[in-house]
This record gives sequence, structure tokens and C-alpha cells, in this order.
Amino acid sequence: MSRATTPCQEATSTSTLSEQPGVLVVRRHHLLVRWSHWLNVPILLGLILSGISIYWSSPIYQHKADPVTGNFDVAADIGIWICAHVPGLHHYNSASDWLYNHMSLGPGMLAVALRLHWLCAYVFMLNGAVYLAGLIAGGGWRGLLPRRTDLFDALRMFRYYIGFPLAKLARRQWPHPSSNTKYNALQRAAYFSIPIAGFLSVATGWAIHKPMQFHSLAAIFGGFDAARVWHFWLMWVFILFVVPHVILVFADGWDTLRGMITGWSARVKRSEITANDQ
Amino acid sequence: MINKDRGCFGERPLPIFEVDSQVLRRRTRRDLLLFGAGAVAGLAGARSLLPQETLARLGMGRSMNSPLKEWLLNGALRVDDDVAETLYSPRRTVPTYTRSQITPLKNNYNGATPDPGYIPGWHLTLDGLASGVRVALDIRSLMTHFSIHEQITRLVCVEGWSAVAWWAGLRFDDLLRAYPPASQAKWVRVESSVNLDSSGNPDPYYVSVDLATARHPQTLLATHLSGRPLTVEHGAPLRLLVPVKLGLKNVKAITKLTYVAQEPRDYWAERGYSYYDGI
Repeated sequence: MSRATTPCQEATSTSTLSEQPGVLVVRRHHLLVRWSHWLNVPILLGLILSGISIYWSSPIYQHKADPVTGNFDVAADIGIWICAHVPGLHHYNSASDWLYNHMSLGPGMLAVALRLHWLCAYVFMLNGAVYLAGLIAGGGWRGLLPRRTDLFDALRMFRYYIGFPLAKLARRQWPHPSSNTKYNALQRAAYFSIPIAGFLSVATGWAIHKPMQFHSLAAIFGGFDAARVWHFWLMWVFILFVVPHVILVFADGWDTLRGMITGWSARVKRSEITANDQ
Repeated sequence: MINKDRGCFGERPLPIFEVDSQVLRRRTRRDLLLFGAGAVAGLAGARSLLPQETLARLGMGRSMNSPLKEWLLNGALRVDDDVAETLYSPRRTVPTYTRSQITPLKNNYNGATPDPGYIPGWHLTLDGLASGVRVALDIRSLMTHFSIHEQITRLVCVEGWSAVAWWAGLRFDDLLRAYPPASQAKWVRVESSVNLDSSGNPDPYYVSVDLATARHPQTLLATHLSGRPLTVEHGAPLRLLVPVKLGLKNVKAITKLTYVAQEPRDYWAERGYSYYDGI
């Protein structure tokens, strides 16, 4: 439904609001959901940058020290490999630190990394509560609950994305699977899983941070060392989510991105209007 | 109205509104401007919280150390310490292990390992006692006048590694009963004057331990590791073993205990770490 424009509003000073053309919009995201969504950007960035600096102090993935370099850290190995194989990085002056310099605050900064991590962590927990409050207040939680048909529908969405680039190249029709729900099944799977990953990150974080006072919690994850491994891979869930999330939001158009800022969308289906009128 | 029976969990159609297009345009502009301003402010604020070293490496070297920044960041440490202290309970014991679960414990002296020459003449000085007298105890009197307790517990380092080790020693609580601190004392300063830096120069080590934690049943003044007297690498002849706190509080080669009313200086707290370090 396109927005009609009336070019002469200033000229007709006697016109009233009711004569202006109305636009149909659908409310999608509660204010608290929007606030917490955007606050998660700097919070998660802070958690990951400080978290990987903390990881440096005692890397989970180690091997026996290299007899020549003394290096035992797999992450350092990756940095060394990248610098050796990427043109332009051959003269990078600290190859073993490359990964830490590009994905964290840096090596050798445990104290500052810890306090930044805890600042972000407490704010993250608060933000998570705000997000849940927004989901409940706006009723958005219902749109995230998984359904029986979701597995099949998610695979169908996945097949659509896999085939999309080839179809574009071959200029073939590749219809987007239709859905009459707020989110398609793949979106729902993602947006349902991320809060769970957030909750588990918090739980494993406390298990690592208080392994004695919360030793039962640590035991659920398999103990102190195992909780560290969980915590590390949960970070990757967020990283691997964010990349396709941002790409797909932009691919979906301005209305989708705007929706998370203003809360409403101008994409209103005719069928929804008639349903509400009854 | 068609009443669709969807139950409590069923998805509802999203609410539709008709909004005047002028109003909509104005509100959109307002929201986008607020968002843009918020994003710029948020990112600038986040950047200012980054550590000085990181900013320097990224070429944003201009000093961003403001008192507000330190207050906010250290505030997180204070809140976290308060949370740890609230969680502490004298009745909650840490998990114990069997001998088959023991893991190697590395020499974690931050600097050079002290020369064992201090051991023969070593004694433990107690200060700040209720008696007002300063007491010196040697290792023989400590081991004969107090019952020795064994425990196999996990030592957790702030760096993220840990080890399960078999310790034996006297309970700190027993020492406190035999040599009570002055009544107003709430802390003990645990010192090692033989500690060295990485170049081998004297670098006295000192930590603050609250007396409540010192009285915990699993807080030991350890004399043995793995069934044998402590070696110099592990803090001979006496070290602190406090499994409810991080490894950095487990002072090796203790030379002095001072009971004080105010929280004493702490080596690692002065280097940007937290104070209470309860786990």
C-alpha cells in the first residue's frame, strides 16, 4: 500500500487532520525490545573483546610448547599462519598476537579485561531482563515459540537461501516461501535460540566466576574446566548469528531495519486488515 | 468478531493502526534522529571505556583516562566484590576430591623462585594480637601444637586455569583461637618478605584476607603438598591455602600475619585486580 502525498497542505489552511491521507502500519517491536536490542551491540562487543583478552591468559586450546618459539597457544598459531599466508601481513611485527590484536583488547591485559568484562556482564544481565520484559509487554514472545511445522519450514527457508545465489545468476525464478506469521521458521529458530544462548552464557559465566559458591551450577556444565569450554563456544553462537542476521536484515529492505528503530512496519497485508475489521 | 481459538500461546495478528502520514513522517524523523544521536553517543562512550593500551595500539593514543572512566570501571569491581562477599557462607564447603583426581600443580611464582636459604631460619611473625605482644613461631612448634588437617581441593587462578591438589596443614581458625587478634581486627594482612620479581630482586608480596574467610573450615596454613613437606616452588615451609578465594590470595612462604581493623593493602588490587576475590 503506497503512501499518498498531498502537495498542497500548506495552501489549504482550513484542512483538518481527518482529510490527510492515513497510512496503515503494523506494530512489530515493543520499545523495551528495541532499546535492549540496540544496547546489545556495544555490550556484546565489549564482552567479546574483553572475553578473548581473558582467554589469552590461559587458553583453553593449547599444545606442548614449540621447542623454538615456546608458543603453546592454538590462537597464536592461527595468527602466525594468517600473517604468513596473507599478502600484506608478512611483516606484521607480532604474528602470534595477530588474532588477539584483531579480536580482543589485546594480549597481556588481564586486569583491565576482567573489569570491563564484569561491567559489560552486569549490564548484559540487566539488558536481558529488559528484553524479556519487552517481549512479554508487547506480546512478542508468542511469535518466537517454536511450532511443530517449524523444522520442515526452516529447512524450506534454508533451501531458499542456498539456491538464491545460483537462481540469481541463472536468472531463474526462485520464489520466497510464504508464511503468515510474524517470522518465518528460520527467523523464529534464530530469535528463539539467541536468548537461550544469552542465558547459558550468563549461567556458564557465573559457574566460571564463582566455581566454589556455585559449584552445583558448575557441576551441571561438567565442572570448572568444562564450563570454560561451554562459555567459549557460546560466544561463537553469537558471532556466527550476527553475520547472517545483519546481512539478511539489510537484504530484507529499509522497512525491516526501520522497524527495529521505530517499532512499526508499513508492510501490511490485505488479509490482516480484513481479519482485524471483523 | 470471529473468535479464533488460539489459546494462550497462539500467535496473534500484529496490531494495525492508521496513522496520519504527516504525523508518521515526523515521528519517523524524530525516532531516526534520536537513534542516530544515541548510536553516536553510545559508540563514543563505549570507545572511551576501552583500556589505554588498546586505544594506543589502534592509533587513538590521546589519553582517555578520566576519573569518571576509572570510577565506572572500578565500580564494576566493587559491585562484583560485594556480590562475592554476599555469596560467602562459612557453612558452605568447597568440593573435595580423591587422590586419583589430583592434577599437576605448577610453580606459579609470578617472579623468580626464592632461594631456599631463607627456610632454615624461618619463623612466622604474628602481629596485631589481643595480647599486644608480637609472637614468632617456627615450623616445628606450628606442626606440633596444632592438629594437621588434610584436604584435596581445587586451586583456581584468576587467569582461568586450576589444579586439584592434596594439602595438609593447620586450620587458620585454630591459630586464631590460640593467638586471638585484637578485638577490633577484621582483616589479616598475609605477607611474604622473601618474594622476588622476575629479575630476582626483592618484591615483598602481601594480600588482604577478611577474618571471616580466614575462619572458614577449609582455610589452611598449609605445610605439606602431596603428602610431603612443601618445596620452595610451592612456598616452603608455610603457605596460605584458601580455596574459597582466587589463587592469588594463597600466599606462598608466609613470613608475617598482621591483624588489622582497616582493610590492608593488597599486591594485586594495586595492579588493577579486585580486592575480595571470593569464588
